[in-house]
Amino acid sequence: MAYLEMRGITKRFPGVIANDHVDFSVEEGEIHALVGENGAGKTTLMRILYGLESPDEGIIRLGGRAVRIPNPQAAIRLGIGMVHQHFQLVPSFTALENIVLNREPRRGPLLDRQHARCALETLIERLGLEVDLGARISELSVGERQRVEILKLLYRNARLIILDEPTTVLTPQETHALFAMLRRLKEEGRTIIFISHRLSEVMEIADRVTVLRRGRVVGVRSVASTDERELARMMVGEVAAIARQACRSLENAPPALIVRDVTLAEIPGRLSLKGLSFEVRRGEILGVAGVEGNGQQELVELLAGLRFPQKGQILLDGKDITFMDVRGRRRHGLAVIPPDRLQEGLSLPAPVWANLIATRYHLPPFSHLGLLNRALIRSYAAQLIQKFEVMVPSIDAPALALSGGNLQRLIIAREVSTPPRVLIAAHPTRGLDMRATQAIRKLLLELAGQGTAVLLISTDIDELLALSDRLLVLHRGEIVGFLPISQADPESLGLLMAGRRLERRG
Amino acid sequence: MSAILFAMLRMTAPLILAATGGIISQQAGMINVALEGLMLIGAFAGVLIAYYAQSAWVGALAAVATGALFAGLLALAVLGLRANLIVAGLALNLLVLGLTRYLLQILFATRGAFAPERLPGLGTLEIPALQGFPILGDIILGHSPLVYFSWILALLSAFFLNHTPEGLRLRAVGENEEAARSLGVPVNRVRALALVASGCLAGLAGVQLSLGNLQLFFENMTNGRGFIALAAIYFGQARPALTLLACLLFGLFEAIQIRLQTRVGIPPQWPQMLPFILVILVLAGVSMHRRARRMFF
Amino acid sequence: MIRAMAFRNLQEVARFVITLGVALILGAIIIQLSGREASAAYRALFESALGSRLALADSLAVSTPLILTGLATAVAFRTGVFNVGVEGSLYMGAFAAAWVGFTWPNTPSGLLIPAAILAGGLAGSLWGLIPGTLKAWLDVDEIVTTIMMNYIAVSFTSYLVNYPFAVPGLANAMSPMVPSSIHLPRLLPPSQLHAGFILALLCALGVGVLFSRTTWGFEFNLQGSNPIFARWAGVRSPRVILTAMGLSGFLGGLAGAFQILGVHYRFIANFSPGYGYDGIAIALLGRTTAFGTLVGALLFGALRNGASGLELFAGIPLELVRILEAVIILMVTAEATIRLKGKKIPISVEREG
Repeated sequence: MAYLEMRGITKRFPGVIANDHVDFSVEEGEIHALVGENGAGKTTLMRILYGLESPDEGIIRLGGRAVRIPNPQAAIRLGIGMVHQHFQLVPSFTALENIVLNREPRRGPLLDRQHARCALETLIERLGLEVDLGARISELSVGERQRVEILKLLYRNARLIILDEPTTVLTPQETHALFAMLRRLKEEGRTIIFISHRLSEVMEIADRVTVLRRGRVVGVRSVASTDERELARMMVGEVAAIARQACRSLENAPPALIVRDVTLAEIPGRLSLKGLSFEVRRGEILGVAGVEGNGQQELVELLAGLRFPQKGQILLDGKDITFMDVRGRRRHGLAVIPPDRLQEGLSLPAPVWANLIATRYHLPPFSHLGLLNRALIRSYAAQLIQKFEVMVPSIDAPALALSGGNLQRLIIAREVSTPPRVLIAAHPTRGLDMRATQAIRKLLLELAGQGTAVLLISTDIDELLALSDRLLVLHRGEIVGFLPISQADPESLGLLMAGRRLERRG
Repeated sequence: MSAILFAMLRMTAPLILAATGGIISQQAGMINVALEGLMLIGAFAGVLIAYYAQSAWVGALAAVATGALFAGLLALAVLGLRANLIVAGLALNLLVLGLTRYLLQILFATRGAFAPERLPGLGTLEIPALQGFPILGDIILGHSPLVYFSWILALLSAFFLNHTPEGLRLRAVGENEEAARSLGVPVNRVRALALVASGCLAGLAGVQLSLGNLQLFFENMTNGRGFIALAAIYFGQARPALTLLACLLFGLFEAIQIRLQTRVGIPPQWPQMLPFILVILVLAGVSMHRRARRMFF
Repeated sequence: MIRAMAFRNLQEVARFVITLGVALILGAIIIQLSGREASAAYRALFESALGSRLALADSLAVSTPLILTGLATAVAFRTGVFNVGVEGSLYMGAFAAAWVGFTWPNTPSGLLIPAAILAGGLAGSLWGLIPGTLKAWLDVDEIVTTIMMNYIAVSFTSYLVNYPFAVPGLANAMSPMVPSSIHLPRLLPPSQLHAGFILALLCALGVGVLFSRTTWGFEFNLQGSNPIFARWAGVRSPRVILTAMGLSGFLGGLAGAFQILGVHYRFIANFSPGYGYDGIAIALLGRTTAFGTLVGALLFGALRNGASGLELFAGIPLELVRILEAVIILMVTAEATIRLKGKKIPISVEREG
């Protein structure tokens, strides 16, 4: 009987089923990897385990007993600890203070730092976790911060430890040290759940693997009896036969967007982009593949005009737009479907008509001498919602009244009502149902057919394979491979995204 | 010279008390713009109760309790009813202003000032050991006990924030609410208590104003000191040591106001404005520094 | 966008009435506790505020500066800027208008009146642009800076009328009088109602049109409703913030100018009983719409005006009205917060792993 059993876990969010009757079990004292693409449901499942979400259906059993985990405190009490992708640390506190917060040893009214230090140093020594307890978090490297997070849960005697994508932020050396420590924890009898995309690492450290795809369990394997290729195939699935237009000959098409050796500096909380070079030709769909968090957000912000590069050039139809502001770029034919639909693509409290002209209100014919032409704006809005089949109660309704699919249609209506020269489409179908997804994909193909250069950023490999003419893969802010679609298969793509380089074929 | 420093110490005391309270709530993430109103209601309650009970210390206790009560109301509005902290704080200031004037009229049929004959004051403290000290003696001795108490409290609060578990949790709540919550810290409770604590200290600051030196209450006697305390907090970036320094500085301005005017002919409004101008400069400077650091990444 | 937030539906009106009702009930309790009679008090209040043509006119007069400070605050709030500094702009505008008046007393009124008014507006505008610039370019939090600017303005203008522009022989700190040629004409003597009221109404109309029909207004709304999206859509946020603060300060300056030119006829140190701060309450009460702000200002004006009647006829200190106002503000902010910053955004389901 397994130490941890999650049975029939189902969790629904508006418009999407994150976990679909998932059965997940972990043996005591093993290192169990949970893998899958973005949107597969891994983090949701673990958030349920840690009490940050509650399942719509399903039960959890720990050590044979059914348990309820309504909040993190309950999880902590059950001996469950989680290190999230985004650390929960107080920057100005020392490592020691962060670890003992709310469980501080005291001497009278005082915080007994000495005692804390002793206790933690024992832990550190035993597990080989090198951390300067007296250093402030803001001074620590990412690897060290992660160790602080791990110490947090060890200090609270966590027997079941969940690590969400721990190695994405680590250097190879730090990863090595992390694995050494995980092995030591395992020797102590603790159980570890390890969420990851990096199949090579999974093969190295885990005992067993569960693969999730689209909210469902695809399979469970012991690491000894499988290999990376099989796992990649399970993660990504067979390529659905999606009707594609015949391979268009694009060799002679002029490049609409040229990015030349662009470097974007790192700022707190964000990756840097190093030496990016690529082109998107007119009528071409260039897919940008990669695990989320490898530079996609930074790339979109750079191209949209929210940030400027430290080195390199960006050309749109031959015009240098490297330091042009957002408005200027849009004027030259750039359109953007931002990655965060709700925060970056819309204003939810604002009415539908306002969202539809948010990028154009200052231009004729919508405004003249500072006055808005309300009648024109309204009729334009009405036209757009009809043309793009956006379901709205009225054009005066605030955007927050719309469903997810309609919100995306709204954004698309705004961006492509006049066919753009270059369209940056970031995660255009994320979280949408089949019908909306198909409609948007069809639209993207049409736009390309009409000559728009499309940069499609997506974590959905099916989508990338179905729509793109070429692919590039982003990893840690760099391009690690180009693939023409004829040479792209789910396996190699999965491997590239997971961190293995192929020879460049650009 | 020593007379100036003596006056400075006296005038800094309410600032130190109020600013200490303000730091506590600020470190919990609650900027307290109601320090002004809390001081005023403390000053009033102190005088009122001291008069009826014929004891300044009972009055002081009443001031603390009243400050706590009104701060509690603010906490209720903001944390319970989701009122905006700034607007609610400003509303509290208005409420106290109106309430004190109203009560003055209702209870004592007076507008302006209430200075009854038999109103006991806080008295002064003499420290025999330091009696003979040449310069320091003149400056430090003979103040109302609250002046000394304000220093002690400032030290205690710094100690509390940095060396006790509760202080650690409070600072965690102010700096990263999510991290604190994920470890089980009751965020809203901590915030409410922080506000109440600032109310207690601001109330004490008020009673120092009304009973510490002269014994009277007049309407709007705080006259912006609550905001000067806020300015000191921002000047000192909510750090106890720097804020204390700012309080001293601002108290000095107040102390030399009259002298500057009579001796050097500098209008009193200039030292009055100075704290606020300085704070704006500090804030601008800090922002510029932060920007510069980010640019280099 | 004005429609999304206007007083259109019953719910809004109901909320308004409830807020007022609760405040009045609390006031009644206080009155009874003070040993007076609540109904007599409220009757006196009502009579004094609205009971006769003159009373009504005086109420409108009192509401004149409130209309403008309310509009000033509303403009800033709409844009997402928490401007608490209208009081400071009011003082600077008041002094500037007075200064123009008493410095060039012999200029024909046709030129001098607009000059004084414009000077007032510009002074207020510049005053607001100082914290505005700090926010737009350095991201300095505007709440603290605007509060500080208020205190600086009050002290500074006090200095001006006590020193450089002091009138010899006068005990109170006041500036020289402005020439009678530029006194704003009284509309209904002997009440205090002056032409400034009409101008304030025009401003309300102007702001209403601004919000709903101009590109500026559209930008304000967009920036305030979602500053992140505004950037992605191409809005030049620093510019928009600066414009909003400049306009907000301008309206605040007008409020001060009209008080000088219509009521006091000279600058008096500390003349404002907190018009600027009341503007915050009024803007919130009116859900930052021009019409709502107007109604709120008229309400507060009536309350203020009626206060003296409260004292004269019912023996209740007029400060009770202040207490009522404070309670109204508290109630308004308790439910207004959720609307104002538009933070009812569902947690993004996008980042699922």
